[in-house]
Amino acid sequence: MVETLQNLALGFSVALTPGVIFYAFVGCVVGTLVGVLPGIGPLAGISLLLPATFGLDATRAIVMLAGIYYGAMYGGSTTSILMRIPGEAASVMTCIDGYAMARKGRAGAALAIAAVGSYVAGTVSVVALMFLAPPLAAFALRFGPPEYFALLVLGLLVLAYMSGGSMLKALAMAALGLLLGMIGIDQMTGYFRFAYGVVELGDGIGVVPVAVGLFGLAEILATAGLATPPAVIKPKLRELLPSRQEWRQSAWPIGRGTVLGFLIGIVPGSAHIISSFVSYAIERRLSKHPEEFGRGAVAGVAGPESANNSATSGAFVPMLALGVPSGPIPAVMLAAMMVHGVSPGPLLIKQQPELFWGFIASMYVGNVVLLILNLPLVGVFVNLLRVPYPVLYPSILVFCVLGVYAVNGSVVDVWIMLAMGALGYVLRKLDFETAPIVLGVILAPMIEMAFRQSLAMSDGQYAILVTRPIAGTLLAVGGVLALLGLKPLVARGLDWRARLALAGKGEERL
Amino acid sequence: MRSAGRLGLAALTALAVLSTGARAQEPYPARPITLVVPFPPGGVADLTARPVAAAMEKVLKSPVGVVNKTGAAGAVGMQFVATSKPDGYTLLLALSSISIIPEADKLFGRPPAFTVDQFAPIALISADPTILVVSADKPWRTAKDFIEDATRRPGQIAFSSSGVYGTLHMAMELFSHAAGIRLRHVPYAGAGPALTAILGGHVDALASGPAVVLPHIKSGKLRPLAGWGAARVAALPDVPTFKELGYPGAEFYIWAGLFAPRDTPPPALATLRASVSAAVGDPDFRAAMDKLETPVAFKQGEEFRKFFEADAKRLAEGVRQVGRVQTQ
Repeated sequence: MVETLQNLALGFSVALTPGVIFYAFVGCVVGTLVGVLPGIGPLAGISLLLPATFGLDATRAIVMLAGIYYGAMYGGSTTSILMRIPGEAASVMTCIDGYAMARKGRAGAALAIAAVGSYVAGTVSVVALMFLAPPLAAFALRFGPPEYFALLVLGLLVLAYMSGGSMLKALAMAALGLLLGMIGIDQMTGYFRFAYGVVELGDGIGVVPVAVGLFGLAEILATAGLATPPAVIKPKLRELLPSRQEWRQSAWPIGRGTVLGFLIGIVPGSAHIISSFVSYAIERRLSKHPEEFGRGAVAGVAGPESANNSATSGAFVPMLALGVPSGPIPAVMLAAMMVHGVSPGPLLIKQQPELFWGFIASMYVGNVVLLILNLPLVGVFVNLLRVPYPVLYPSILVFCVLGVYAVNGSVVDVWIMLAMGALGYVLRKLDFETAPIVLGVILAPMIEMAFRQSLAMSDGQYAILVTRPIAGTLLAVGGVLALLGLKPLVARGLDWRARLALAGKGEERL
Repeated sequence: MRSAGRLGLAALTALAVLSTGARAQEPYPARPITLVVPFPPGGVADLTARPVAAAMEKVLKSPVGVVNKTGAAGAVGMQFVATSKPDGYTLLLALSSISIIPEADKLFGRPPAFTVDQFAPIALISADPTILVVSADKPWRTAKDFIEDATRRPGQIAFSSSGVYGTLHMAMELFSHAAGIRLRHVPYAGAGPALTAILGGHVDALASGPAVVLPHIKSGKLRPLAGWGAARVAALPDVPTFKELGYPGAEFYIWAGLFAPRDTPPPALATLRASVSAAVGDPDFRAAMDKLETPVAFKQGEEFRKFFEADAKRLAEGVRQVGRVQTQ
């Protein structure tokens, strides 16, 4: 404990030097921009800027890249709330209730809660990273394919709770998403599936074009199709901050999202994206008013936004403690360390204490910077809503196309986005929710890979999925959840879905 | 009206002819050169390409920009260069997988994204022999122990790889074939996850470039058994090569080389070869490669062509030996 504090003091002595603060600031600003622009997510942002860090020293480079990563998680909520366009994949859930809050004139409150939730999650999870990194990293490594499969099955069960409407429709959308996720090279045999000779489809359908198309483009098309354009929301200054009641409603979801995001974040792989989905489902499950979800529930913004920020710190645990790339973004950061002659690995903390503790301390500093940066920006961003639709929407369209193209420099991605926009419009008209499609596209390749890797490990014995302790436990929890889901069928009570249907009859849907 | 249109057309044609004529005579390079890396930033190819580009810029006195054109395990970027204009302004930095991808396409009977004869080799920049590592808590002390155990228990010892038909998979297949053993293959999506898998104890063995596993060998988590190179790895002088152990068929390098589209004019190729030759001697370039712990192995012209063709032949055989993968 004392030693950790001494180390932290060393870290702050590094992090508070003007040069390091400057690059932390630059990273945070760039990250916020990367998050705000639809399409470009933290991975693309870090990759594009990696070469620019080659001239810096190792500490500054890592501090700046990390700033881009968690800065993007702050920024990603902005367009989700204001325009229903996910700035990056982890902000998809924020689109639902964040945008609903904005339609009710609470855009400022939603943005402020997202920023404060991100700050709390970011800061608390760095404390956890500092004290728990070595033991947690060893635990995280025990997540092999069977454990990952079990975790993802849990994520899939979450689907059942995600939609407010018909369960049948939600599952149909999830199935569509899973099918879309099957496109691309079969990772186990090298076959091209459903690619029809298009080499670009080899990597499968990206989450970014799907999410931007289904949410952003569909929203623009739907608005364009209205007989009278929706009234321009003119936010008043005093309405910018969340009310006392909104703060109270967001406190617990922020706490739960922080813990959940961190735990999911340490698991190697791209699990951080599902942290926001799982958080949303949990909040809805625990809420006394689940019928509010989808119509501007504060918890539906606070939980997922905290979870995705805290997951970024979690992802650094295996990277810093063991030198293991726990996902695509830590992998790029490890490469950046190698370029600077720092060999990442289990000895990093001992051999390069200035780098490790400077990095940790810079994350405290970075989160403060982001809060200071983002709260005043709430006022600026909210004023974007004053822009008349004939000007606003075409500009958004341009940014969507640019952002999606910039990720891989691929025109095929732009076409996918346009097709998904058209699909999303039709589905909206037919009253289907599209979030399960996005989750399906994210989960399908991961769950398939983990399942088949498990079978490759066990030479085809299915028992491997239940006999390993972590995997078995996770699947058992999943089983219990599934049973709880079936309870209303047996108990014949009015569950929240039925209440929602009743409430829906009373009011007109937008 | 009509004649005016025709006149305009003629003028345009003349202009086009003039401009191509001018271009044919212009000194090379007169414009910035694009070096396409078919893998994402941060990977071996990208980290090799950037110092190469910087050093070539100094020699050519003309900008050389690195562009990451990723997708389908490199096939997208390689196809892009294969079909781009052969004028010396679009180059490719490729890894060993350039000879694997067309072979795998052939195996599945699909139209190949590109073929190796669409490229003119410029120069080999680095060649890193892979080494065989196992978890330190496994009983095998030497490659001999490993092979004996694998012979006793065919298909029971598992290894991770960067993906099916990927470089790390092919290295292991060449070795198993040479030693007459059968191992269990668990493919992962990239070299990073494959390393995570062996560190977590989910697989027993891994073929890997030395730089990535050295820290874990030093910390005692992994044990090196043998190397695929013609000579021992400098950082691991006690680890024998498969060649020494009597398996000459197990030879494999993760190499990086520069290519141009096939019909690039010979004068441009000569200029490029000369510039790379000077670039690899550049102290900044050497320092960058030292930090990556990647040995520079410069070969050009006929020498590189021979290396490339021998390597492609080995890998093509390897892919055919693996055949179509059967899974559960």
